Amino acid sequence: MYLNVQNLTKTYGAFTALDKISIGVQSHEFVCLLGPSGCGKTTLLRIIAGLTDADSGTIHLEGQSLSGLPARQRGFGIVFQSYSLFPNMTVAENIGYGLKIRAIAKNKIAARVDELLTTIKLPDVADRYPWQLSGGQQQRIALARAIAVDPRLLLLDEPLSALDAKVRAQLRTEIRDIQRTLDIPTLMVTHDQEEALSLADRIICMDHGVVEQCGTPQELYLRPATRFVADFMGTSNLIETSYIRECMPDLMAHHPVGDDDAFVACIRPEQISLHPDPQGKATIRSVTFLGNLRRVFVESPAGPLIVEAHGHVDLCEGQSVRLDINPQDCSWVANTPPSGAP
Amino acid sequence: MPPPTDGTVAQPVRPFNTDRLILALCLGIPVVGLLLFFIYPLWIVFIRSITEADGGLGIANYIEILGSKGFWRATVHSLQMGLATTAISIVCGFIIAHGLHRCSFRGKNLIRAAIVLPLLAPSLVQGLGLIFILGRNGLLNKWFDLGLDIYGFWGLLIANTFYALPQAVMIIGATLTLSDARTYEAAEVMGTRPLRQFWDLTLPNAKFGILSAAFVVFTVTITDFGNAAVIGGDYSVLATEIYSQVIGQMNFNMGAVVGILLLLPTLASYYIERMAQKRQFGGHSDSAVPYVAHFTPARDIPMAMASFLIAALTAAVIAVVVYASFVRLWPYNFDLTFKNYDITLAGGYAPLWTTILISLMAAAGGTVALFLLGVGIRRAPAAIAKIVYFMAVLPAAVPGMVLGLAYVLTFNSTATPLYLLYGTAGLIALVNFYHYHTQGYLTIMTGFRQIPTSLEEAASCLGSGMLRVVADVVTPYVMPMLAAVFFFLFMRSMVTLSAVIFLTTPKMTVAAVTIMRLDDAGLTSQAAAYSTAVMLIVTAALLAMKFILHKIGQHKSLEAKF
Repeated sequence: MYLNVQNLTKTYGAFTALDKISIGVQSHEFVCLLGPSGCGKTTLLRIIAGLTDADSGTIHLEGQSLSGLPARQRGFGIVFQSYSLFPNMTVAENIGYGLKIRAIAKNKIAARVDELLTTIKLPDVADRYPWQLSGGQQQRIALARAIAVDPRLLLLDEPLSALDAKVRAQLRTEIRDIQRTLDIPTLMVTHDQEEALSLADRIICMDHGVVEQCGTPQELYLRPATRFVADFMGTSNLIETSYIRECMPDLMAHHPVGDDDAFVACIRPEQISLHPDPQGKATIRSVTFLGNLRRVFVESPAGPLIVEAHGHVDLCEGQSVRLDINPQDCSWVANTPPSGAP
Repeated sequence: MPPPTDGTVAQPVRPFNTDRLILALCLGIPVVGLLLFFIYPLWIVFIRSITEADGGLGIANYIEILGSKGFWRATVHSLQMGLATTAISIVCGFIIAHGLHRCSFRGKNLIRAAIVLPLLAPSLVQGLGLIFILGRNGLLNKWFDLGLDIYGFWGLLIANTFYALPQAVMIIGATLTLSDARTYEAAEVMGTRPLRQFWDLTLPNAKFGILSAAFVVFTVTITDFGNAAVIGGDYSVLATEIYSQVIGQMNFNMGAVVGILLLLPTLASYYIERMAQKRQFGGHSDSAVPYVAHFTPARDIPMAMASFLIAALTAAVIAVVVYASFVRLWPYNFDLTFKNYDITLAGGYAPLWTTILISLMAAAGGTVALFLLGVGIRRAPAAIAKIVYFMAVLPAAVPGMVLGLAYVLTFNSTATPLYLLYGTAGLIALVNFYHYHTQGYLTIMTGFRQIPTSLEEAASCLGSGMLRVVADVVTPYVMPMLAAVFFFLFMRSMVTLSAVIFLTTPKMTVAAVTIMRLDDAGLTSQAAAYSTAVMLIVTAALLAMKFILHKIGQHKSLEAKF
């Protein structure tokens, strides 16, 4: 691992923000720390940056320990949600500041700033002040400022959360392109699962200060490991083993070794297909039209289910239907108690 | 709602004219007040300054003043004093403000308390305190027999610095709290060392605050009368020059000329200060994270020591006055006694009770007038609002001495029925209110600005007339500011000297003037006792204000809950 975090713990009084967390980032990799607010992801990022001290645990970068190394000697780049540009400096001064600190020659700084302004597609704003720019522009400048010094690690703390939807989508693509082009190992904190799915090479899903699951976006979505991940990443139908055994026995083929209570079946709404059948044991409760698809609420012997139906199948309320689920599409997740429960 | 009959939009149920009338009254009463008790007297000063000995108009007075050595000496002294005080106050003020807001050490509340003290006492208390410590009969001369003479430049410089320091600390502190902790973290991650962060981020961002504070301190210093009168000695400044022209030589027109000339630098400095405030870097985002300092010995230990030293000196100068008021015979017999509280000067404590009455009048009347002005100016057409705003913020640019002189020239003249006000407590209350009009107005307006316009619109749509909107929507929002302004006007009226010095008569005098007379008569310990009594009342008012604001705060949070 390029960045290797082992057994990191951080408590604030009685509150445990991070509980023996271990994560890693490969060189060139884009990793997202994903989780609800209060799960400890920002604390973890700030400890890696050197802005907050951990209670215990180690952080190594390329095999070298970072403990005791102040933030200013780590050589990282960081982008905050609140832009945090220096208000007293122009755009060019902001971007060039890290280089100025490193006593780089003025003409070299100017050249680098020009190059970065082109990279972020804002070639004409060099002499403006931060408050003269829009939020999206400010965040681009903050990104340029962070990468100007060729950081060993790029840290992004919810960089898109303060922006409106359209700018957010646009900047998301740009961040991805820039990261790919420059090959900077990147760790981004976000609570937006869509952002994590579309940006990350690997997602680390956290809750209550522990890692729930770590894997590629596909793995997290299609094979969630825990009930929390299944719930947090999109919509899912979680069905207890006893119901599956009774109503959909063919799905039992992949049930992991263990107690019935230890696992629940997770079936994504788009993985269930509905077939009108007078003999079907399930009944349609309601149908919501969403344009390209319809969301169907079904009452089945296994309990209420949510189904997403594409195409032009005739479905109406009160209709009896048969459910079809490919055994491959059913994943079994650890039945950890839902968030907040003791 | 009845349907429109002839194609026009349905009129609101309330008659439109009532609201117009209320608006006119809200705006009219305070504006007439400003015209009558601020603009008109200033106009009279101007006219008197160009009225020549034979009654004709001309600039002969100016030529005479500009040709006199005394005036130039006072001007040079005022500028010297202003610049020196400003330089020292800004450095000391920045140290304390930086200590309070950017460093981590214990006992900051002690420093805050010490820094607030000068605002609770008449401006001549610093002078009194210095006389007790450094004067001919001061502690240092008694103990070490130094033969120090504190009267003059150095004494006045020290007194003015202590007097101006709180304002410098507050203005610079306010800009230091504005910044976002994340910018410092960004700098940290980019590899910036702490000292470099200070030079590249802290100082540039505090630039306009420092500039603002410098102009405020400069203005306060060159217009202050109390300390200059007590400890200035032969070192004449413009404020004492006006006093000697008017009271000493009964030369009102010459006093008016000096007043107009004193107005020029204060107007200029006030204008620059307001421009500086507007130039504050904009775009502070709502999501800014406040800076929290972590203990860093190399920075915090020296900063704490410097801050405590300056604060301790500020407090000591005032504390020594309180102590001396209980001492039998300074500096020979330090037995404690209440003897000095038995005021032997004519009038005794009567002026103190008068001052309380005057202060209550100024506070109550002023708060009502400013509230009406706030209600009115929000609904007034933009062009009118702009003019009224200008009038409302102008008084801060006019030195108290000049306003007091303007009042005496206007109201001690039988030319108008306004003469009837001369020598009344009401007139002194008026001069105090208009002297501090700007600060009160700006405070009230921060309350008005917090009211979401949608809230007032919603109330109007539900059918509330203007009175209902004001009572139900506006008043709850501005209540804390009304309380703050009431106590501000009360406390200032209790201690101010420069504006009232010309308006007191043998029958109608105020506490600050009595303190000056006691000091003039050589009864320094009694002056200290009188000052202590004033400080006691003002401190009680300050505590009452804190208590009431706390109560209102609780009340509001309760409202939010239900």
